[in-house]
Amino acid sequence: MDGTVTDSKTRIPLEGVTVVIKGTTNSTLTDANGHFTLKTGQKFPFTVSLSYVGYKPVEAEATGTALSIELTATEQALNDVVVVAYGTQKKITLTNAVSQIGGAELTKRPVSNIQQSLQGQLPGVTVLDQGGSPGNAAATIRVRGVTTFNTNATSGTSGFDLSKNDALVIVDGSEQRLTDLNPNDIETITVLKDAASTAIYGSRATNGVILVTTRAAKKGKAQVNYDGYYALQKAINRPVQMGIEDYMNEQQVAYSNAGLVVPAKFSDSSIQVWVNATDRYKYPLPNTWFTTLLRTAPQTSHSIAVSGGSDIIRSRLSLRYQDQAGIIKNYGNKIAEIRLNTDYNAAKNLSFNANIDYRYNYIFQPTVDPINNFFHGSMWAVPKYPNGTYGLSTQGNNPLMFDEIGGQTQTRYDYFTGAIQGNWIIFKSLSFTSFFSGRAYFTQGKAFANAYINKDSITGIVKTVANNTLTETRNNLREYTWNNLLTYQQAFGKHHLKVLAGYSQIDNVQTYLSAYRERFYNNDIQSIGQGTNDPTKSNSGYDASFALRSYFGRINYDFDGKYLLEVNGRRDGSSKFTGAKQYGFFPSFSAGWVLSEEDFFSSVKPVVQDLKVRGSYGRTGNQSVDLYSYYASLTLAGYDFGGQSVNGYRQTTLANKELGWESTDQLDIGLDAAAFDRRLNFTVDYYRKVTNDILLNLNIPATVGLIAPFQNAGSVENKGWEFSVNYTSPRGNTDGFHYTVGGYLAVNSNKVLDLKGTGPYITGSDIDPRYIIAKGLPINTLWGYKTDGLFQSREEIDKYKATYAANTKPGDVKYVDTNNDGKIDASDMTVIGNSFPKYTFGLNSTLTYKNFDVSVLFQGAAKVDTRLAGALAEMGNQEGFTHEIYAGNYWTPENTNARFPRPVKYDLRNVATSDRLVCRGDYVRLKNVQLAYSIPASLLKNARIERLRFYVSATNLFTISKLNEWNLDPETPSGRAVYFPQTAVYTLGVNLQF
Amino acid sequence: MALTFSSKQINLPLKIIFMKNKFLIYLFIFASAAAVTSCSKDLLDTVPNDRLSENLFWKTQSDAEVAVNSLYRDLDGQNVFAWDAFTDIAHVNQPFAVDAYIALGTYDAKSSKVLSEWSNAYTGIAAANYFLQNAVNIPVITDTASFSRYKAEARFLRAYQYVKLTSLYGAVPLTTSPLSITDARQLKRATLKEVYDFIDAELTAVAPELPLTYTGANIGRATRGAAWSLKARADLYAGRYADAAVAAKAVIDLNTYSLYPEYKNLFTYKTENNSEVILDKQFIASVYSNSVFNLLGPYSQKSSQSTYVPTRAGVDIYQTASGLDINDPSSGYDAVNPYISRDSRLGFSVYLDGDILPDGSVFHPAPNSGTPDAVGNTYIASTTGFNIKKYINAEDLANPSNNGINIILIRYAEVLLTYAEAKIEANSIDQSVYDAINTVRNTRADVKLPSIANNLSQAELRSAVRRERTVELAFEGLHLQDIRRWKTAEKVVPGPVYGITYKDNGATKIIQVAVNRVFDAGKHYLWPIPQTERDQDPDLEQNPGW
Repeated sequence: MDGTVTDSKTRIPLEGVTVVIKGTTNSTLTDANGHFTLKTGQKFPFTVSLSYVGYKPVEAEATGTALSIELTATEQALNDVVVVAYGTQKKITLTNAVSQIGGAELTKRPVSNIQQSLQGQLPGVTVLDQGGSPGNAAATIRVRGVTTFNTNATSGTSGFDLSKNDALVIVDGSEQRLTDLNPNDIETITVLKDAASTAIYGSRATNGVILVTTRAAKKGKAQVNYDGYYALQKAINRPVQMGIEDYMNEQQVAYSNAGLVVPAKFSDSSIQVWVNATDRYKYPLPNTWFTTLLRTAPQTSHSIAVSGGSDIIRSRLSLRYQDQAGIIKNYGNKIAEIRLNTDYNAAKNLSFNANIDYRYNYIFQPTVDPINNFFHGSMWAVPKYPNGTYGLSTQGNNPLMFDEIGGQTQTRYDYFTGAIQGNWIIFKSLSFTSFFSGRAYFTQGKAFANAYINKDSITGIVKTVANNTLTETRNNLREYTWNNLLTYQQAFGKHHLKVLAGYSQIDNVQTYLSAYRERFYNNDIQSIGQGTNDPTKSNSGYDASFALRSYFGRINYDFDGKYLLEVNGRRDGSSKFTGAKQYGFFPSFSAGWVLSEEDFFSSVKPVVQDLKVRGSYGRTGNQSVDLYSYYASLTLAGYDFGGQSVNGYRQTTLANKELGWESTDQLDIGLDAAAFDRRLNFTVDYYRKVTNDILLNLNIPATVGLIAPFQNAGSVENKGWEFSVNYTSPRGNTDGFHYTVGGYLAVNSNKVLDLKGTGPYITGSDIDPRYIIAKGLPINTLWGYKTDGLFQSREEIDKYKATYAANTKPGDVKYVDTNNDGKIDASDMTVIGNSFPKYTFGLNSTLTYKNFDVSVLFQGAAKVDTRLAGALAEMGNQEGFTHEIYAGNYWTPENTNARFPRPVKYDLRNVATSDRLVCRGDYVRLKNVQLAYSIPASLLKNARIERLRFYVSATNLFTISKLNEWNLDPETPSGRAVYFPQTAVYTLGVNLQF
Repeated sequence: MALTFSSKQINLPLKIIFMKNKFLIYLFIFASAAAVTSCSKDLLDTVPNDRLSENLFWKTQSDAEVAVNSLYRDLDGQNVFAWDAFTDIAHVNQPFAVDAYIALGTYDAKSSKVLSEWSNAYTGIAAANYFLQNAVNIPVITDTASFSRYKAEARFLRAYQYVKLTSLYGAVPLTTSPLSITDARQLKRATLKEVYDFIDAELTAVAPELPLTYTGANIGRATRGAAWSLKARADLYAGRYADAAVAAKAVIDLNTYSLYPEYKNLFTYKTENNSEVILDKQFIASVYSNSVFNLLGPYSQKSSQSTYVPTRAGVDIYQTASGLDINDPSSGYDAVNPYISRDSRLGFSVYLDGDILPDGSVFHPAPNSGTPDAVGNTYIASTTGFNIKKYINAEDLANPSNNGINIILIRYAEVLLTYAEAKIEANSIDQSVYDAINTVRNTRADVKLPSIANNLSQAELRSAVRRERTVELAFEGLHLQDIRRWKTAEKVVPGPVYGITYKDNGATKIIQVAVNRVFDAGKHYLWPIPQTERDQDPDLEQNPGW
């Protein structure tokens, strides 16, 4: 028998398609003309199966006549269906800036959350993966920059609060957390970036929308998928302490430079004793915590999914168990999850989907964070004596002791999500969908701090924690979402019209309760009722609720698939606002022109198959404002008289009834192209978005005497470019070599346009990063002194005059007197760095050869800065970790060409916030590399296994960055580096399907 | 109705749709739409139940009582301890603390300390104004006497804030009713005279409304004595010496107050609310607490912070037991053993070498003494080798950051010395001046300094009363205002800070802290108006020199 195989769309013959007679091993490949011949003795009719990478497999019945078979590509970019708000759309008719990624891309590397797996994959989506302890992974997603900020940041060390820049995450129709979702349950993740695609989410859409679709069941006999891996995690940033001799000599210099008595410990003779000592209990090393506490830790994951069903009912059940141990003992995270997705076709025109997800998450960590003490206040402490007691620093610290006997904090989360959706096709062109979901999150926290006494058996320093304490917390959240959609779709000749009208409401209730007791009988009795029942016990709590009611609509129109138009609108009402400000309207418009469908394009068509230009403009909102901000109220503020507590009430915050929505206007112009048989796809977008009426706690005169309310003030602009390109190699050679390569580059510039005459807002101090928010500068710009090297002589200092410290000496930092007023003070501070990367990029490639496939992912950022602080910056001047980079590299009269200034004990003159402490944070890293081998199908047939694939992968294998010399991770934020260390993960995994 | 469907309610109609006909489907849609409309009013109308609406308040007399109670929270508490650290007698121990920039003279109008004292004071003023504006609208007053007292308390507490504000910043904006943001952006500074006239008038008006004393769960409220005492302080600051003397005399003549016999125990739990206390900030551990032990205690005491520590200058001002200054050759001062045979108040106010600490250990601050308190052991330990002893109570050792000790804001000794100083400055010196000073010097059981010599000149008396005031009230937060109004700050503040005398291989050495204080007489006598205030209100003029 024989036949020909072509591409269903282009009619181009396909070479190298595998043709197998079903039930046999008799197979062949098509030739360059797509032709195949099979010699067989088998009687007609019989079935042949055809398979080809990138195409849907097909079965055909051979009856003796030549077969003409068409294969449909599975990944033809411009014909893909893309998930959009409240529906799907063909990519070719899309007029919006949308990025989509399939679930398979997300499961390539083991990650502790989905945010991390999105890193380096999508242009315009900046993921900052800051590591984080198990279960508390600190990965933030920013879609096209940061648009808003909070000026009432209470933390002086981390800059302004940017948490209101989090994208809206919609999982299967209702708002949910992205964290901890099972990657194996995800079909696609779509990021809506421009206003045209997000405006239909109205008041919650300013920061972009991430749509997650979970996997639905497939028709057919039951299919079982198992995905599992075993991984080892290893810390990749381990700062190295200066060697003992260098360190002690440096201390001697630092004390002398400060004019202080050099302690006996740092006298020359003592240094010799310490250096030559072999008894490191009596003469401990200065700081060993990065080697003592960090370990290699395992992470395992098992995920099983069973799916199948009939035309009437289909179900997919998935189970997952994940266990991540910490690279520091006593940290860990366990997740158990079950999900059931069911589709039910009740009648020809009526169907239902029901999704149920239950997830249990257990996170534990030491109650006393040991990591801060890796750097600070833990010098010279013996980690542990042979008798099991701990050494103590002068300050009574020992991170190992805190970790091992300080007590455990445990958090248990129960997440329950249930949703049901009914779809009713009223007429062929009109359908109605009603969706109802409820989610309930229960969080139970238990932070127990042990009581203990530890005496350093050599120094005699005692650490006493007299009372054990327990803080229990309960946080319950319930949220209901109800969406109703009416969709009308009709073609009138070449006019295609699609209209969507919808209604949505959300009701959210949250309660929080906490209780505290202390002095339990011993550290093992950890039940709240067992704590001492006296006035030290306390409890607290709050209730909060908000609701959202929205009406929205969308019209898609296209003429002949060439001219595309879309209009969106949403009217949103929020309980967070009152009166006339309660409702906001968020419209958007977009249009596209598919040039490649025009007649004049036909001459180019053999090379460029698709070319589309599109543009959009629209408005979205942000309702992230504290609840009841408009509400004038009095809060409990008691006092006491004569030893008795009395009630008191007072007004603390000024109410602002005029409070309204933050809104973002965004323009997007884009171009999508596909060439070389659509193997090369290219997309470019330019955007400019301006966020107005930012909800700020603007400074109000302190004479008002109340805390500032949120006010609508301030504007921020983000603009930038996004380029992405993908190439899939031609195939057909019988050697099976095939590759794809893709990359993106995103450029973002952020600028505060207006603060209504207030500001600048500055946080931080001389010993922590200073950030500024000021008109004309990016949000959270690093702020401080410029410097001009080191003073080299008395004459130079006298001539320069402007000094930071009164008795400046050679070897001190020469701060620039930017305003030329003859002194160095806060008014000389200026821009010294950029805390949000201007450029982010990713490069992704997969190579397939026979049964092997290799994928690599590079990812990085540029034009970003990191400010060192705390012990890393203090160069041993205080009582912290001292990096080896300073060794022999600080100014002395003999070493005037040194990189670092002279150390001065207990003095800040040389370590004030300045450009000297700012490092370039640019980096490129090999985020992931994976090598996989699939057992050939022919070998699996007898075992009734459809697919068996083994892989090894490694993440964060290497990084090119200026911060490497500090052993710091470039993705970590400015500051004291007291975060949980970033890890490299080495994985062995298996995918099994039968 | 709020949206609280059970899934059962949703499923049921759908099931009917499935089984029956299209009519029911339309019915369902219609019903849904109706449900939406019917609950539309409620859904977005979420009302917080974790706070009290303004509309529900100001209805009963008890609302007025609880509102006035909360005003006491705005009284100064342990923030007063910072102020003496900006003078010659104490030092901000950690060079990177916000307060250190003030002490060193390197601060400016952007200093967060400069802003926080300003805004805390105006918070108290606004709260009092809010009370006074709203309390009068309470429809039914059942006990008019108490109600007038509440108003008098609020006005007293507001006057307290103005005394503090004007002493730190000079003439400040005078506000007597709640301000909108727009009002606040157009405020102007009153004149110094207007501010002091206001304080005088208010305190004069409220004093008769306030009772002499309280009992039980009212102890700690503003009294008539407190009103007169505060007026005496304000008039002294204002240079209205005759008025100050009259006000102070009024307190003395109340015969309500006397010096507590044991200076040693003046700042302890067992003597709270004693006969000397005129106004204090009241605390209860675990309920409304402070952390003075942790703030001031020596490092060896549960890693307490030694935030502000006495300087050598602050110690040297104490006379010897013979009642003479230490630089007087006949005083008996021993430079090698400087702490023996001194005014007993030194040992009651400052931790000295050899003192027993709350945990029973011995205080040894000398460098290389091997104890946690040794100078240089850690940057947290006192860099002068002295620690403040006032308010450090062994009861607080268990929970150094959860203390219930009341912090005294006005005590009778201050009133006596104000009286004496006002009379001296007004040059109406009589025996009552000597009596006032000598009462402080030797009527307590544990303070027995010889009386000052009789027939001193005005200048001699001035220096006597100044020294007495500095010593008696040391580290309690009054010395900053004293050196400002005496105009001595420019002489006593600048230069290095010295600490303890200690022996090093037989040699006697004195600790010198590696700082160099600056005091610019052209501007440092007043703090600048906070920059953020002036940014928002250009009409607020800055103080000279800033």
